[in-house]
Amino acid sequence: SPGQRPVPVLSAVPAAWLPALQLLRRGSKAVTRHWKAMHFQRQKLLALTEYLPPRPAVPPRCLPRRAPEGQQEDGYARVLRRQVEQTLRGSRMVAVCQFSSMADEDVATLRHFLRRHNIHVHFVLNEVVRPVLAQSRLRALLPLFVCRNILLVSPEAPAREMLRVLRGVPQVNLLGACIDDTILSRQGVENFARLPPLEVSQGQTVAALSLLSSQTSSLLQRGPAHLTALLDEHIRRLRGSGGSAGPPPGRGTGNH
Amino acid sequence: PAGPGGVAVPRAGLKKLALPPDYSGISIPEKPKLKFMDKVPAVPKVQREPRRLRDIRGPSQVATDFTQGQYGILALGGGYLHWGHFEMIRLTIGRSIDPKSMFAVWRVPAPSKPVTRKSLGHRMGGGKGPVDHFVTAVKSGRLVVEVGGRCEFGEVRPFLARVAQKLPFPAVPVSRESLQEMRWEEEEKRLNNQNPWTFERVVASNMLGMRKYLSPYDLRLKGRYWGKFFLKHRV
Repeated sequence: SPGQRPVPVLSAVPAAWLPALQLLRRGSKAVTRHWKAMHFQRQKLLALTEYLPPRPAVPPRCLPRRAPEGQQEDGYARVLRRQVEQTLRGSRMVAVCQFSSMADEDVATLRHFLRRHNIHVHFVLNEVVRPVLAQSRLRALLPLFVCRNILLVSPEAPAREMLRVLRGVPQVNLLGACIDDTILSRQGVENFARLPPLEVSQGQTVAALSLLSSQTSSLLQRGPAHLTALLDEHIRRLRGSGGSAGPPPGRGTGNH
Repeated sequence: PAGPGGVAVPRAGLKKLALPPDYSGISIPEKPKLKFMDKVPAVPKVQREPRRLRDIRGPSQVATDFTQGQYGILALGGGYLHWGHFEMIRLTIGRSIDPKSMFAVWRVPAPSKPVTRKSLGHRMGGGKGPVDHFVTAVKSGRLVVEVGGRCEFGEVRPFLARVAQKLPFPAVPVSRESLQEMRWEEEEKRLNNQNPWTFERVVASNMLGMRKYLSPYDLRLKGRYWGKFFLKHRV
C-alpha cells in the first residue's frame, strides 16, 4: 500500500574492484544536450536488466472480480428505502407494472385517473427496492424488478378500475400484484377483478348458510298443508256434485 | 439488464451525491502570486565559473516533497531554467489562478549560475567567453512550483500541464496523492521484478567486467539516469 515505507535491503555482494583503465576515448562529456550514444556493452546490459512484470499462473482477468471496497452507504438511498418500506407497509394492494417511456402529460393523465380511484403511483429504482423486498414478505416479487418499473399502491383494492385504466395505456403492463397478502399474477388480478364485491358475496354466504334453517318451518307445515288441500278439494267435489244435505263429516276430523 | 438481442441496455442508477471537499486547514498567504525572479542576481559574479554539468545529472536531493501547496510541477529530467522560463511560469500561473482562493510558491531559486557565451563567428581559442546570462540548475525529481488553495487537481492540471510542456526538460503536473502513488508504483516494480539480473547487482559486483564500459556514477545512478535524462521505464 502507498502508506507503508519500503525497507531497504542491504545487498550481500562484496564491494568490487575498480578497473585499471577507464574507457574515455571519444569526444563529448557525460552530460550532453543530445542523447549520447551508449556503448554497445552498456546497451546489452540495459537490455538484459529490463523490468519483467510478474505473470501469475491464472491471469487476473479470468478470476472473479471483487466488488470495489470503500463503497459508503448512501444516505439518500437509505431515505428512499425507508420511504418504500413505509409505502409497502401501509397499503393493501401493491401492483408492479413494467413502464416504457411516455410523454410527461401522458404520465400526468395516468396519475390523475389512478388517483381518482385512490391508487398512488411510485417510481422506484431497482437498486433501492431490491434489498427492501428481499427482507419483506413480498420476496416472490423480486424477479419482477428488472428494467424500468412502477409501483401502484392503494389502501383499498380497486382491481377492476385499475385494470380498466391500464388497458387504455399500452406503455404500462401489469406484471404482478400483492393484494391482501396474496401474491397474484396478471391472470390472478383479472380473476380477482371479476369477483363480485364483498357485500354481495357476504350476502350470498349468509343466504347459503341459512338456506336449510329457512326450509325447516315449511318442512314442518307440509303435512297439515297437504291435508288442508285434500279436504278443500273434497268439499269442492261434494258441492260440485249437487248441494250436500248436511255439513261434511271431514270437519270434525280436521280439528283433532 | 439485457435488451433485445442480448445486448445490455445501459441504465443510470441512483445519483451518488458526493460531499464537497473540505478546505478547512488551508490558508492563503499574503502574496498569493509568484514572486518576480531577477534576470541577474543582486551581486553578479564577475569570476566566471566552470560548467559543472554534474548539477544536472542524477536525482535531486532538494525540493523533492511538497511543503505548502497541494499540486505542483515535477521535473522528470535535468536542465537549466533561465529568466525566460521563469517569466513564462510566473505569467501563465498568475493568469490562471484566482488570487483570492489559490496561491503559488517557487521551489527553485533565482538564476545564480553564470553561463558564458563566445560571440558568434569566432574561431576557438582566446580564453573563456564573457558571462551571457544566468541560469538555475534543476535535477530530475525536483518540484519547480507549487500551487495550493481551495481548488481541485482537475482545475489546476490543465494550466500546469501547459507550463510543464514549455519547460526545457520533461515535466508533469502532480498532486500530493499522485506523487505518492508514483513513488509507490516504482517501489512495487522494484520489488516484484522477475528478472534476477538487475543493473545495480551487475555493477556492484562488476560482473563480466561491465564497469569498464560504465561510469563510476552508475553505482549511484543504477541505470535509471543517462546524462541529464531520466529513464522512467527502467526499474
